[in-house]
Amino acid sequence: MLTKKLEITNKTGLHARPASDFVMEAKKYASKVTICREGGTPVNAKSIVRLLAEGIGQGTKIELSTEGEDEEAAMVTLAAIIESGFGE
Amino acid sequence: MAEKRTQRTVLTGNPVSAGAAVAEAFVYKPQKMEIGRIYYDAGKKKEKLDAFHRTVELAKEELTQLAKQFEEENGEQSGIFLAHREMLEDEELISETELAIRDELLEPDSAIEKVFSEFAGLLGQVEDELIAARAADLHDVKKRLQRIYQGRTEKKLSAPGKDVIIIAYDLLPSDTASLDRRHVKGIITEKGGCNSHSAILARSFRIPAVSGVSGAVDKIFDGMYLALDAGKGEVILDPTDEDTKKCLAMCGEERKKRSEEAQYRQRLGIMGDGTKIELGINIGSCTFDALGESYDFVGLFRTEFLYMEKNTLPTEEEQFAAYRKVLLQAEGKPVTLRTLDIGGDKTLPYMELPKEENPFLGIRALRLCFSRPDIFITQLRAALRASVYGELRLMFPMTGGMEDIYRAKAYVKETMKKLDEEQVPYDKNIRTGVMIETPAMSIIADMAAEVVDFASIGSNDLTQYVSAADRMNPEVSSYYQNCSPAMLRLLASVFGAFAKAGKPISVCGEMAGDSGLTALLIGLGARKLSMSASCLSGVKAALSGITIEEAEELAARCSTMRTQDEILQYLYTPKP
Repeated sequence: MLTKKLEITNKTGLHARPASDFVMEAKKYASKVTICREGGTPVNAKSIVRLLAEGIGQGTKIELSTEGEDEEAAMVTLAAIIESGFGE
Repeated sequence: MAEKRTQRTVLTGNPVSAGAAVAEAFVYKPQKMEIGRIYYDAGKKKEKLDAFHRTVELAKEELTQLAKQFEEENGEQSGIFLAHREMLEDEELISETELAIRDELLEPDSAIEKVFSEFAGLLGQVEDELIAARAADLHDVKKRLQRIYQGRTEKKLSAPGKDVIIIAYDLLPSDTASLDRRHVKGIITEKGGCNSHSAILARSFRIPAVSGVSGAVDKIFDGMYLALDAGKGEVILDPTDEDTKKCLAMCGEERKKRSEEAQYRQRLGIMGDGTKIELGINIGSCTFDALGESYDFVGLFRTEFLYMEKNTLPTEEEQFAAYRKVLLQAEGKPVTLRTLDIGGDKTLPYMELPKEENPFLGIRALRLCFSRPDIFITQLRAALRASVYGELRLMFPMTGGMEDIYRAKAYVKETMKKLDEEQVPYDKNIRTGVMIETPAMSIIADMAAEVVDFASIGSNDLTQYVSAADRMNPEVSSYYQNCSPAMLRLLASVFGAFAKAGKPISVCGEMAGDSGLTALLIGLGARKLSMSASCLSGVKAALSGITIEEAEELAARCSTMRTQDEILQYLYTPKP
């Protein structure tokens, strides 16, 4: 399992559009992908509803985890999406 | 008739769609389908799981269908259905429901109730209001699944077989889609302004409607007799005979107006003072139906259908045959062919388009053609070859600057040269033009007018880009304003630039077919409008009722207003 601590930098946070795009990207990998708020419990990052329900806004510190055969590729791509501020 | 022994009460709201009605009230409260915990026999596990999966598939199909159905007329609603379908692709929602069915032995509808309500509860707690609002969508999806599972068809928004006036807090997108247009004579909502879902829908269906009537749902009961004067924004509860008579007279006038409109079919767009407005139709296939309407030209021939029919790109021959067919059917009337407009919300399954964060700001339309010259040149060749069968015009979508125009024209020139070499005949004087649908192009419309033969304003995309509001995202629908002061100013300057250059310009977006906006568009300077054939009669009738002078006065008045609400309120309130 790979983990990486990240901060959400884009203005709207993990909102409808960024969350939807992120989930779509995460689904491309076989690995289990989770996102965990600082001090919270990890949620399945392939679920749009779970992700939205976390209410992750700008400045939130999160931990991204990937686990499975393609965990490395998944980590690289997904972390890059978050770090780029979802292209916003 | 004996005097009614009830209390006459008048409620008022905002007039959003003019007209009158007298009918019984149908208070629409979305049914609360509380489904308790119902368990099934352990032996039926597989059967129940299969039934659940079938239900999800059917719901997805229904939503895809609805999205498609609304795509042309209302992109905003279409987007909502797509968002609902996305929820059905949520693996947690689905797997949790499966778990409840498999492990807890819950009946599928009761498992759906449990899991979807739980998730909706989670969303509802989020501080961010926009996310919390998604809980309502989840409930909407939940009800759809339960209805399908229980084998019921979508509830029609009308008491069976009789005329009603709908009273609702607000109408949900899925409600409006199932509205029974024959029986719904009026719509009264507590919520919503001129631009709410129900308002837009009411206007397009020409159903009298009043919004912002506070307390309507509590004060009005099912079966209560109502007289509605939507033009004045008045709802009369238990009306007197006189009220009824007045409203019925208005209904009669409206009916007369409609049958008069039908007579416009054979006529062209002539204004009250005799000014001719050229009217075109928008088509999207190679056999089209003008619904018996007279028209002057085909203002928008969308060619995407050719690319969507099969799993491969259409060949030059296939395209040539389709374009020739349209030209022959148009019988010499000008046909404006818009080159491929893929990208944004429209994608091709067989073509791996790069995934973009903002597809509407990405490689779409002409930009895609520039990045794949093979596709562009094939289409240009087919179009040029077909041009000998009628009067074909070429129009380029999504131009963002003069470079785009120069480049597109260079491709046309090059293709012509090739055809000359091959001694293939084509119309050497073919006219080329652009869609004006980016802010950049509209701001330099005067420069464009110097080099193109014509232009057409794509009001849907222009609105989206000017207001910076994604037309597919329901959460920003109130920001998507095609009649904002900014749009009015921009439209007037584009019309002005083309008039000055003496080049024709038309409008081919949704605005063109909205008879409520006809006077405004003419007043701003439009002299050519192109729309779906079903809108023609209404627009022809609207044109005949005004003179150029009146339209200009109205546009000048609107141009001084500060908000779209103010403008729409003014446009949709009947003038004395």
